[in-house]
Amino acid sequence: MQTPERQSMEVDIVCTGFGPATGGFLTTLAEAMNDDQGQPALMSRVMPGMPLQVICYERADDIGFGVSGIVTRAKGIRDSLPDLDPSQIPLAHSVEGEEVLYLLDPHKVSRRSWSLKMLDRLVHAGKWLLPYKEHAVKLPYIPGFLSKHDGLLLSMGQFNQWVGSQLMSSGLVQVWPGMPVKEPLIEDDQVVGVRLIDQGTDREGNPDAGFMPGMDIRAPLTVVGDGPVGSVGQKLDEHFGLPEGNHQREWALGMKMVIDLPPDCELKPGMVLHTFGYPEPEIFGFLYVYPDGVASAGIFVPSWLDSPVRTSYRYLQHWMTHPALWKHLEGSTMRSWGAKSLQESGKAGEPFLVGDGYARIGEGSGSTNVLTGSGVDEAWTTGVQLAEAVIELVKQDKPFTRENLENTYVRRRRESWVEKEGRVAERSRDGFQKGFVRGLIGMGITGLTGGWLNLSGDSKPPHERIPSIEEHYAGKIPADELKKMRAQCTESGTSLQEALLNRCGWPEIPFDGKLLVSQQDALLMGGKVQAPPGYADHVVFINPELCESCSEKLCIDMCSGQAIAPGENDGVPQFDREKCVHCGACMWNCTRARDGDAEQTNIKFGVGAGGLHSAEN
Amino acid sequence: MASILYVAHTEADGTLCKPALEALEAARQLKGSLGDATLTVGLIGHDVQAAADAIASCGADRFLAVAGSEFGVSRYGSDALAITELVKASEATVILAPATSRVTRVLPGVANRCDGCIDTQVTGMSVEDGQAQIQRWYYRQRMVATLTRDQSPWFLSIAAGVYDAWKGDTGTAQVEILAVELDGGATRTRVIGTKATDSDTQTIRPEADLLLVAGAGWTKKQADGQTHVPDAEQLLLEFLDSTQASLGSSKSLVDQDAEGQAVMGFLSHMNQVGQTGSTPRHPKGLATCCHGEEPHVVGWRFINQRRAINMDPNCSWAQGKADVLYVADAFEVMKKVNDLLSKG
Amino acid sequence: MSNGFHIVVCGSLVPDPLQTLQPVMGASGLPELKSEMMLPSVLDPWAGHALFEAAHLAAKTPESKVWLVSAGPKARLQQLMMTLAQKVPFELVALDGSASGFTDASSVAKSLSEAIEGIAGLDRSRMLLFGGCASASRDAGATMQIVGERLSIHDQFLAVDELDVENDGSLRILERIEGGQYLESVCEGPPAMLGWATGTLPEPKNNPQVGMMNMRTIMPALQRAQSVSVGAGDSTFASVEVPQQRRETRIVKDLPADEIARELVEWIRS
Repeated sequence: MQTPERQSMEVDIVCTGFGPATGGFLTTLAEAMNDDQGQPALMSRVMPGMPLQVICYERADDIGFGVSGIVTRAKGIRDSLPDLDPSQIPLAHSVEGEEVLYLLDPHKVSRRSWSLKMLDRLVHAGKWLLPYKEHAVKLPYIPGFLSKHDGLLLSMGQFNQWVGSQLMSSGLVQVWPGMPVKEPLIEDDQVVGVRLIDQGTDREGNPDAGFMPGMDIRAPLTVVGDGPVGSVGQKLDEHFGLPEGNHQREWALGMKMVIDLPPDCELKPGMVLHTFGYPEPEIFGFLYVYPDGVASAGIFVPSWLDSPVRTSYRYLQHWMTHPALWKHLEGSTMRSWGAKSLQESGKAGEPFLVGDGYARIGEGSGSTNVLTGSGVDEAWTTGVQLAEAVIELVKQDKPFTRENLENTYVRRRRESWVEKEGRVAERSRDGFQKGFVRGLIGMGITGLTGGWLNLSGDSKPPHERIPSIEEHYAGKIPADELKKMRAQCTESGTSLQEALLNRCGWPEIPFDGKLLVSQQDALLMGGKVQAPPGYADHVVFINPELCESCSEKLCIDMCSGQAIAPGENDGVPQFDREKCVHCGACMWNCTRARDGDAEQTNIKFGVGAGGLHSAEN
Repeated sequence: MASILYVAHTEADGTLCKPALEALEAARQLKGSLGDATLTVGLIGHDVQAAADAIASCGADRFLAVAGSEFGVSRYGSDALAITELVKASEATVILAPATSRVTRVLPGVANRCDGCIDTQVTGMSVEDGQAQIQRWYYRQRMVATLTRDQSPWFLSIAAGVYDAWKGDTGTAQVEILAVELDGGATRTRVIGTKATDSDTQTIRPEADLLLVAGAGWTKKQADGQTHVPDAEQLLLEFLDSTQASLGSSKSLVDQDAEGQAVMGFLSHMNQVGQTGSTPRHPKGLATCCHGEEPHVVGWRFINQRRAINMDPNCSWAQGKADVLYVADAFEVMKKVNDLLSKG
Repeated sequence: MSNGFHIVVCGSLVPDPLQTLQPVMGASGLPELKSEMMLPSVLDPWAGHALFEAAHLAAKTPESKVWLVSAGPKARLQQLMMTLAQKVPFELVALDGSASGFTDASSVAKSLSEAIEGIAGLDRSRMLLFGGCASASRDAGATMQIVGERLSIHDQFLAVDELDVENDGSLRILERIEGGQYLESVCEGPPAMLGWATGTLPEPKNNPQVGMMNMRTIMPALQRAQSVSVGAGDSTFASVEVPQQRRETRIVKDLPADEIARELVEWIRS
């Protein structure tokens, strides 16, 4: 077969990933591209005489397929969109009320430390005095650093779609979904553009019917906004490393559903409910109420949940059926479902923000504030800051060198609230490294002292934190029984994690066919997941021997879409691209370190086509 | 007073096909429900007398036809002229025809020529306050609407498999043959004939009593840790041979084909049943190695009796989607089923 | 004189097939889909095949050109174009109106045929009118024939899987008919209407250069999109519903395979 030639195209600015950061970047840039008379104000360098040529490639099949229900102060977003009217964006609403609930464990099965058990006893003893209802205590007040009053509730999918359509109708920039970017083009430590994914390949990436090599998009500036598990960001980190002292070891998996609340639900639009304490102490939950009886509800399973059993989907169902939530959710119907990895290292995980020919924005650039639990507004703002820098450099006819980008973009970012608040938050979660209660206290101390005081805790890569199943259950389940369970599950091809949860007393989920459905039904009814044929697998198990020796295979149970299944003879797991929701959880839940790089795991998570087809998330 | 015109075309052997007889039954029932209505039969074909005689006792008030060799073939130009003439001659206010490929192609254009309106693939009719109402499906048969129209003439094509085929005595029908002149424009298209598709492909057989659905489980590893795709192929083909069942598939199984995994050679996307596939009509359906997730089961809407074989007692078939779920190894069960079937 | 084809493809957006659809009765008495504006949409699948076949035919027939005539809400058409425009070259004729499945085929056909009549530079003697054999929303399979009639095209083909242009310029066409068979016809030449089934081509790969080129004409076309009134004609809807069927499932566990087989064979033969 004759291999077609790889084609190349030149633009001024190529962006990878269309999320809030790129949205902020393109919105700000587009506004400056024409002058008052509608004439081009920023001119192209690669196509002299033409306006600036700006193009953005998004991996997912549409620009609205991002996964997040968010509550945000929307400070940065409102700064750049002063006329923003939430009623113009489906599912958007102003924040009208906030509550934080500490959830007790009605089934007495969660992993609670002695200190937490003490706390629970105290709560029980004083429940007549406390705002205690349905196994939950409402916190009497919400610390300022957590509060989102005057903020906005948004569906990230709908917000992205709205921003994207404003941009496209301006005709000034182009945003192309369904086009994954494989990697940056790096020449002599200078980023000169990106290479798009090869199309028409087999699962290993070899040319197949209709092979079309991914095009090279060469550009003086590459804007990297492809999120925490984006392939361009990952490749840049592999090439340039991280600044000394920085690490990306903290993660969380956010899994949620958008649901139609029952008609008699008393929750009002704009209500924000945050929970902690259940189904495991470390798992945080959220319930945001949108207009028209719709809500977004989900949990975060963090990397510091030191347990080898962490099936997010099952935990999500236990969380929803907690009496304090179920009183609102009973009778609901799932509309959509999805999952996403969050880079929780925040400022501590910041990569090199700029280099010759590239700049990084958004979550992948370490902008998420882990204390306030806010990322979208920060991401948007970093995009705006980069756009302002680009406008300045284009107008001054200066090249996009590291130095020029440092002096314009990085300077703006360092002087902004994003940096200031990010620094306060930088060490706020260190306490969680040594336990949940210590973590909570640490967050409180950091928040209340504005970052002056923090509780310490050494960070470790997730794969070093996760004990083996045998270690974890030592003393709880006899070794013989555990061995038998393992053998039975392997033989029947069923999940050991599910069996372990059942064995520990977690109740079975009473499927109702509406909200409580099997994970496969959630994937199809709620996630609407699909993948087009003709692309390489984007999840690769690097060293098969490491997989064969792995007894946890957490990648299988942590896979949000059940896209990773046991392999032959319990060896290398199998990956089914059709079911992948591109959350990236496999990458950081792998319990084996990569050969030659202890910060990475044995799973390579690259870029692939397809995924969720839900725009409501 | 409603004037009902029933339109049908003869087959190559001069008979009326089953969907045509079903549409005739629909027309008769409509006439009965409306009370004050006439029924005209309008036939098209090379030679229509035998077909007219076969339905002579159907209760029609009148038999019209357009006949001749040029009308023995399925061609838009000539069919459109013929049906337009039948509508004019009968002064029809409601036209019913079977939703065959030939009718489906031509009826909308004729409706436009006659300043009428059209609904296709009608699955039910009733009369409310003296006015006919129909049922038809939208969004790839995912939702059903009941509607009526004021405009006349109203053209309706009747979906196959909804009404019982009309049965009655043959007789001698007095057929009025209408003269239809074909100008050059109507014969710019020459019909060459029919052509079979690849005979190795097992497709959905609309006439079959049973739908067999094969799910992705057939290609997955079995208890011995190995896949057994050739065995699965043989089991399924044997079953299809002995039952003449129609073969459907879940999306995940046919998608594996595109991904280059080992799958069954006789399956293609043409077999896919479900939200992104087809919605076949069969009295019975048997799902094997398929989980029964909602998007797939959407395609089972017109399968009356449903049984499933799956290893997982919690699979979706158990959630009120099947009448019976056998929790068992499909390889083992289907082998026994084939043995029993071969014994006759 | 040129021998190229002027191929006009009619096709618009439908909800992404994976979405959950729920009908509700709108304020005007016409049904609509719940949260219709939030549903992701795709190009109507059969119209998509028609467009890809058109582009393929145009690429191998010099001096041919492809137009895509689409009626739908402007904002959603714009969104659709973001993925579609990367596939194949075409010129968009956008009509700003409803893309609901509950609109009437003849109402849609009227808007489409009037738009086609207004296409500057379209040589109707060389025209091939392409579309899907049915839309995935209206599910009627009627619109294209009415568009053809309104444009006086009396050579029409439905559920087409194959079109070959013969040396004498005639068109050899295979249409899907009953029994898994094809009807083979030869038409003298354009003009003709072809309502496509799946055709024979795979979905083209996304091509950034095609996207860049198409966008130069697509954005202006969207900006000048005429608003059209597409309605349900004279239909009066009494109800629209998704049938719910929940069965009492009998779950048979621990029964030997022999017994299950016996029960199944009995059922199959009953």
